[in-house]
Amino acid sequence: MAGCLDRVRGRDQDAARALVDHLYPLVIRIVRSHLPRRVAEEDLAQEVFMKMFTRLGQYQGAVPFPHWVSRIAVTTCIDHLRAQKRRPEFRWADLSENEAEVLDAVMTSENDVPANDAMAAHELVHKLLDQLKPDDRMVIRLLDLEQKTIAEIGELTGWNTSLVKVRAFRARRKLRKLFLELQQKERT
Amino acid sequence: MKPDNLHDRAWARLTDAARRVPPASDAAAPHGFATRVAALARAGERAGHSLFERFALRAVGVASLLAVASVLANFSALSTWPVEDEQIAAGEDLVKVLLTESE
Repeated sequence: MAGCLDRVRGRDQDAARALVDHLYPLVIRIVRSHLPRRVAEEDLAQEVFMKMFTRLGQYQGAVPFPHWVSRIAVTTCIDHLRAQKRRPEFRWADLSENEAEVLDAVMTSENDVPANDAMAAHELVHKLLDQLKPDDRMVIRLLDLEQKTIAEIGELTGWNTSLVKVRAFRARRKLRKLFLELQQKERT
Repeated sequence: MKPDNLHDRAWARLTDAARRVPPASDAAAPHGFATRVAALARAGERAGHSLFERFALRAVGVASLLAVASVLANFSALSTWPVEDEQIAAGEDLVKVLLTESE
């Protein structure tokens, strides 16, 4: 990797292409996990790589290069999420039949979601996450879906651990409120 | 059980299920993506350098020359300014003071 980076710094196009190919799986995984609505994943991945090349001179080697690129990818996604307008109020009617069933099941029983409903649960989780503020959404995604630790999230986002905890707390409170509202709407 | 706990547990069950969905497998870069990005990065680098070389250094040079020239040209006026200030403060007519000085 170090040799490749030196060649990229020396404006070697082949090395630059190889670096993009090597890091693409990492970048696209982050981009897909945090993809804002109406933004093409390839455009966002391209933006991440452009930032990587522009800031390559700032990379000191203090952290492994893929970590450094991951941080660029995460902060780029956060910037796009912040630029988005908030979604309108979440309604029971926005859910598909399957999603509504899954939501009803998790709120009324202690059983795990059946394997064949995993996709509906996945969609439902993302619809609920879309109701959160971008920074809070990022923290909950990293904590609950990617199962990162607070320290790892701090490293990825550049936020200190207290801030990550505050955002997680705020997000969970909002999620509880959403569940409560959905329950009340369902009853009415 | 508290409602908050119920909702937290509901959320935990949902995220457990959501994690079971396998990630999209086509992780390789699309054909031509790496070439395009590398070329764009190179083009951006060139544009940045040429703009800096063309404008920034010249602008700094010209600005420095203008600053030195303006100080030299106005040195006499600047050095006599406190006297004029005193005259104005004393209630003298500014136009009269200037005309007298120019004579």
